[in-house]
Amino acid sequence: MSKRAKRTIVSWLLLSPLMVVILFPFAVMFFTAVKPADEVLSTPTVWLPTTFRWANFIDMWAATGFGRALLNSLYVSTASTLVALLVAVPAAYALSRYEFKAKGAYRQFLLITQMLSPIVLVLGLFRLSVAIGLLDSVNVLVLIYAAFNIAFAVWMLQSYFATIPRDLEEAAWLEGASRFRTIITVFLPLAVPAMVVTAIFTFINSWNEFVLALTMLRSAESYTLPIKIFSLVAGRYTVEWNHIMAATLLATVPVAIVFGWLQRYLVRGLALGSVK
Amino acid sequence: MSSRLAPAYLILPSFFLAAFIILFPLWDLAQLATHNVNRFGQVRFFSGIDNLLAVLDDSLFYESLWRTAIWTGGVVGGTILLSFPIALILNEDFAGRGLARVIIMLPWSVSLTMTAIVWRWSLNGQFGLLNKTLLDLGIIAEPIVWLASGATAFPLQIGIGILVSIPFAVTVFLGGLSSIPSDIYEAARVDGASPWQQLRTLTLPLMRPFINIALVLNVIYVFNSFPIIWVLTQGGPANQTDILVTYLYKLAFRFGKMGEAAVVSLIMFALLLAVTLLYSRMVIRDEQNR
Repeated sequence: MSKRAKRTIVSWLLLSPLMVVILFPFAVMFFTAVKPADEVLSTPTVWLPTTFRWANFIDMWAATGFGRALLNSLYVSTASTLVALLVAVPAAYALSRYEFKAKGAYRQFLLITQMLSPIVLVLGLFRLSVAIGLLDSVNVLVLIYAAFNIAFAVWMLQSYFATIPRDLEEAAWLEGASRFRTIITVFLPLAVPAMVVTAIFTFINSWNEFVLALTMLRSAESYTLPIKIFSLVAGRYTVEWNHIMAATLLATVPVAIVFGWLQRYLVRGLALGSVK
Repeated sequence: MSSRLAPAYLILPSFFLAAFIILFPLWDLAQLATHNVNRFGQVRFFSGIDNLLAVLDDSLFYESLWRTAIWTGGVVGGTILLSFPIALILNEDFAGRGLARVIIMLPWSVSLTMTAIVWRWSLNGQFGLLNKTLLDLGIIAEPIVWLASGATAFPLQIGIGILVSIPFAVTVFLGGLSSIPSDIYEAARVDGASPWQQLRTLTLPLMRPFINIALVLNVIYVFNSFPIIWVLTQGGPANQTDILVTYLYKLAFRFGKMGEAAVVSLIMFALLLAVTLLYSRMVIRDEQNR
């Protein structure tokens, strides 16, 4: 047996216990989502449904108000991503292209905002949203998510901006273009991929957030997806697990695919941005 | 724009937004912590350290603190110990490595809330598929009601915490491994170093900064992690799985003890600050030694 074949077998064997544990919840989610209701709560429990009941997804959509929560989640995530990028791109540009006194202090500040996690501040944030009259409004989440994503976005963007060669910008200056013009016509087009990647991760962060949404959103109409689905589980006498698993599947799979496709960019950005 | 002030214009918008949303609540928490606050959140009069004393007098605070230590230590320790060998394996060239990486990274792409909800169903004592699977395999003889007691629920929560933390640590480690030039290993092989010696004397020291960053970021994330425990048990049964974050949440939004909740928030912040300072000193010392 060749060396590589042997290594393949050993590697897969070593990784397999972990993989089983990782895939287990996905299997549970899928098979429960397609089970007829009476088979979900049957004893003895069975893994496989007798028939794959795809209509569960349609029933769930109507019964849970999934569409509304989906729209809320899309709105909050998109808006907070735009706000975060709007302030993070200039900051990251400044960090990567200028030398200035407050640079170190600003970096410290970003680090501190990362340490003050939403949960530590949750009471203060709750009172802040009451004070500005935005409790139970998805817009308060837009502001808060944007603020908490700034540090991450700046780190990611800055590490990519540092890889964009300055020569092009300097050439443009020599030809008499102003700094501002250079940014618009030379720098930003080159920075688009970095901004897209950062935007997607910011979007996912907001999409997945739990504790702040749980605290700020009071009425079912304003629930985002995680809160919507959690509300179907918690404090209910009857829990329709096949509907809930169908909902988690729908809420999870699109994000999982995008994330899986893009995670290598995240690694590079994080490794460069936070170590340096 | 004048070039001397340009960085300020570029940085200030992000600074103001972050300061407003993040520093203002911090100031508010400091107010709450030092004042008598009624359960509707009205700040009444300065009360000094009364709130602090009330927290320090609550045995649940110490239990939660202790459990937070176990939770953070268990999840972070388990994550690092498992992730390092996984990264070493995934760094080798073998058939199907791309697929293996995707599977290992999967838990990262699902929100903690969804993961916890799926596990809550899987762990159901009567109809859960975990019991079903373990019974079929003959590992357990009777169905176990996993979430009915802290003795089974808490270790499971730590396990789930490890599972969802592995992808991040593995990616950091893979990034580190790919930054190590391969010719130093060839040199070591020529000098007759065994794989084990190579690991100990080359890989581990060179991976130090990456292990450090994975450790610190994980400590911060896990220490603050709320959804897994809240969705699975809400700190119950009988507060047996309460950690500081769930204790804080209950103080603030269930028991209406906002002053005490603010104290717990500030204690948590102080603990995080200590960890981060310790870390930056570690990094500075590391850099000086090199």
